[in-house]
Amino acid sequence: MSNLVEVSREAPAPHGVGRALIPVIKALVAPAAGLFVAIILIQSGGFQPLPTILVGLEYSLGSVEAIARTVAWGLPLCVATLGVVVAYRTGMFTVGAEGQIYVGALVSAVTGAYVGGLVPWAHQALSIALAALTAGAVSAGLGWLAAHWDVDIVLSSLLSNYVLLGLCIFLASGVFNDPAAEAPGATLPIQPSAEFLSLIPRTQLTVAVFLVAVLCIGAWWILERSVVGYRWRMIGESPRFATSSGMDVPRWQVLSLAVSGACCGVAGALLVLASQGRFASEIAIGLGWIAVMLALMGRAKPLLAILWVGVYSVMQAASRKIEQVADVPSDLAVLVICTILIAAAAAPGAVDLVVSTWRRRRGMA
Amino acid sequence: MEWLEALLTSGVRMTTPILLAALACLPTLWTRDINIGLEGVMIFGAFFGVALGIATGSALTAVLLTLVLAAAAGLCFGLLVTKLKVDVFVGGIVLFVFAGAATAYLLDILFGVKGNLSDPGIPVLSSLEVPLFEDVPLVGGIVSGHSGLSWLAVILAVVLAVADRRTVVGVRFRAAGSHPEALSAAGVSVVKTRVIAQVWCFALAALAGIEISVGQLGLFTVGMVGGVGFVALAVVIFARGSVGFTVLVSVCFGIATAVSFQFDKNVVPHELTQMLPYAAALIALVFISRRSRRPGRTLVGV
Repeated sequence: MSNLVEVSREAPAPHGVGRALIPVIKALVAPAAGLFVAIILIQSGGFQPLPTILVGLEYSLGSVEAIARTVAWGLPLCVATLGVVVAYRTGMFTVGAEGQIYVGALVSAVTGAYVGGLVPWAHQALSIALAALTAGAVSAGLGWLAAHWDVDIVLSSLLSNYVLLGLCIFLASGVFNDPAAEAPGATLPIQPSAEFLSLIPRTQLTVAVFLVAVLCIGAWWILERSVVGYRWRMIGESPRFATSSGMDVPRWQVLSLAVSGACCGVAGALLVLASQGRFASEIAIGLGWIAVMLALMGRAKPLLAILWVGVYSVMQAASRKIEQVADVPSDLAVLVICTILIAAAAAPGAVDLVVSTWRRRRGMA
Repeated sequence: MEWLEALLTSGVRMTTPILLAALACLPTLWTRDINIGLEGVMIFGAFFGVALGIATGSALTAVLLTLVLAAAAGLCFGLLVTKLKVDVFVGGIVLFVFAGAATAYLLDILFGVKGNLSDPGIPVLSSLEVPLFEDVPLVGGIVSGHSGLSWLAVILAVVLAVADRRTVVGVRFRAAGSHPEALSAAGVSVVKTRVIAQVWCFALAALAGIEISVGQLGLFTVGMVGGVGFVALAVVIFARGSVGFTVLVSVCFGIATAVSFQFDKNVVPHELTQMLPYAAALIALVFISRRSRRPGRTLVGV
């Protein structure tokens, strides 16, 4: 499990050109499969695939406003994905991002709506900090149970999603409910002082982009260049070696999950403070699961994961436009990203299987 | 006593999908390929039960066709995990996310609706009345008036228990997980055994989904499975691979879910009662892990 999607047993490679081609084939299988599925789905709706995809890409990348819109949409996802990456580095395969995003969103919405008398930067910082602290504490709690009491982290985080979602929606429908809101289970709108300053009108791109940029650089530096990152990686790859090296493995695992949860909390806060302006019961449906998938696609490496967030954000924006022009549901983006992930996971095994079969038939095995 | 009868009747209804999904998962626990995408298979089962029911006009035909599709999907998933070495954790997550998006997509494309499909043409599995017991207080509600899938779940539990205890099947499944070299040396294909476990898992999980959509509600809604598959995963982990305990724990969770429906919405909001089974599962998971302190019974890296 430590190498996630890099699972393959290398078969003896053919010689010459064949050997050189194998890595290329392995790398191309996943995007080719994704493109193939997109073409099939658009074609099945009776539309020309290539022009339709180009219209979608024009909408997501065709102008400064389009790029800003796509980036703005991807910011919470980027932070949540980095959070999942941090947890996976220590071998803590949590899938609780969804619930933690909701916790962060609700806490920031309540802080943004009810806490008053602060200057904007302080109000925003307080909202973000409380969201990160609360979601981080929840995640750290799950991590503590896993590290000290052997509570299965996959199952406990899975179940925690439903408990946290239920709790957040209960609070948003009850004590924090805004009866005037149209959306179900919505809180009061946040005060203007809690809203992030818009950078480009009508795009939802706010100064939050700088916060996310700092978080991305910080996450990369911590995971790839710092001693903490090195220890996390060592624990993820070989907890026994880490223990015998004198490291307090449970403590470092709990810390990684606390950071992971804090990132998810910040992602939830960004949804409220930089985009929606309030908490609603469907504010982040599915976002945590997409973050888990993108972290897996990025092989728990921050830069690769951020790259995949970018690709997914473009696809998501494109699929919204495609839904308008070609009547193909916007779930297209999720279907394509699922195909890419499963193809990426299967490609090394498939290529090795083909190569070993080929060698056996030629009597080379 | 009416409330108790209603509770027990509802308990049986709630237990059926949990038990079917848990029984689905059990052989994959034995082969150590436990599939966290179980919920995704249930979503597909619920959808195709309804879609094929509308297409064929017969609930039974829809069930049989969905079973065939599920078995084929299980075969593909099994081959992905065994032959192509796809990590079962990665495969399970993709399956769950894919199922949610694909059913929403198909709902839109095939029926032109978003979110839910309610149609008078959706056939519902007829309930089985047991003449001898239907008028007996308390007992009548437990044994009579439920869909055939409730009885099938009981039969499958007995079959699996007998297969596990009295035949070589259980030994082979467990050996495929714990001692694959020994199984291979005995002349049994490890790959085939693991794939069969996945086919079984998909078929029964699809039945669990069908029970919710065609067996109980007669409609399909995106998100209608609502975490039952994850509760079933918890059941299997608690039961530690035992068929008897799987049945027992499934009944406990079924009753817990039924209890959550009995609360007055004006007293306890339904958002709170809905999360009761998950909170109970989480607490039980912590309690059992604390009691056992035995590493290794995990979903990832078993």
